[in-house]
Amino acid sequence: MSLRTKLADMSVMKKLFTAAEQEASRAGDGPPAAEHLLLAALALPDDSGRRALSEFDRTADDVRTAIGEVHAEALRYVGVEAGPDGRLDTGTPAAPPSGPYRSTGSLQVAFQRAVELSKRDGSSGIRAAHVVAAVAEPEHGTTARALDRLGIDRAALVEAASTALDEPR
Amino acid sequence: MGDVQQVPPADRPAEAFAAVLALRRLAASLERAAVDHALAQGWTWGDIGAALGMTPQAAHKRLAPQRRKPLDE
Repeated sequence: MSLRTKLADMSVMKKLFTAAEQEASRAGDGPPAAEHLLLAALALPDDSGRRALSEFDRTADDVRTAIGEVHAEALRYVGVEAGPDGRLDTGTPAAPPSGPYRSTGSLQVAFQRAVELSKRDGSSGIRAAHVVAAVAEPEHGTTARALDRLGIDRAALVEAASTALDEPR
Repeated sequence: MGDVQQVPPADRPAEAFAAVLALRRLAASLERAAVDHALAQGWTWGDIGAALGMTPQAAHKRLAPQRRKPLDE
């Protein structure tokens, strides 16, 4: 890997992790997870992730809404009705993180997989569509359930991400 | 008081695990909302800490509203 690629990856990584943290904080969640990394990837200047998702006529806002609905539906399974996004509207959001960067295992696994995918296809660094493909792979978890709720086939999204990476920037 | 609910059996792991995640998230938002109401009703951080089983300092450090500003403000 060239020095230029390493530096580009570090820059993307910083943007992704910061945006994932902000998504989690705004949603009133704890440390960011894979679903927040997906939303962060869809907000990158590189539009390859957004193009992959647009193949299914979906946007980041649709994903954000679906994540809330997944939580609300999961609560109904245990007999709890807590509004459309599965939490109370508190007026004051979750605490902004401080100290060392904290994230869930699902974010770490997804990011490592995105790095693997970027190395495998010889890209000049991690791109948004690598993250989209990485988070779409696991069969279980909040992201899988949100994609299912949106009627997006995970394998088809991985394919769309691959196609988006092949298109010129 | 809400209606009493029978927790379903955990023999559908995917549903059960999703519920676990959603309950943790709901608990955190319920805790923040309750702190806001408690403060408005004159509770001290000592009262809030005692109710949550933590010290006043720990409760304040984790839950004080001024520590909960959105990152993008």
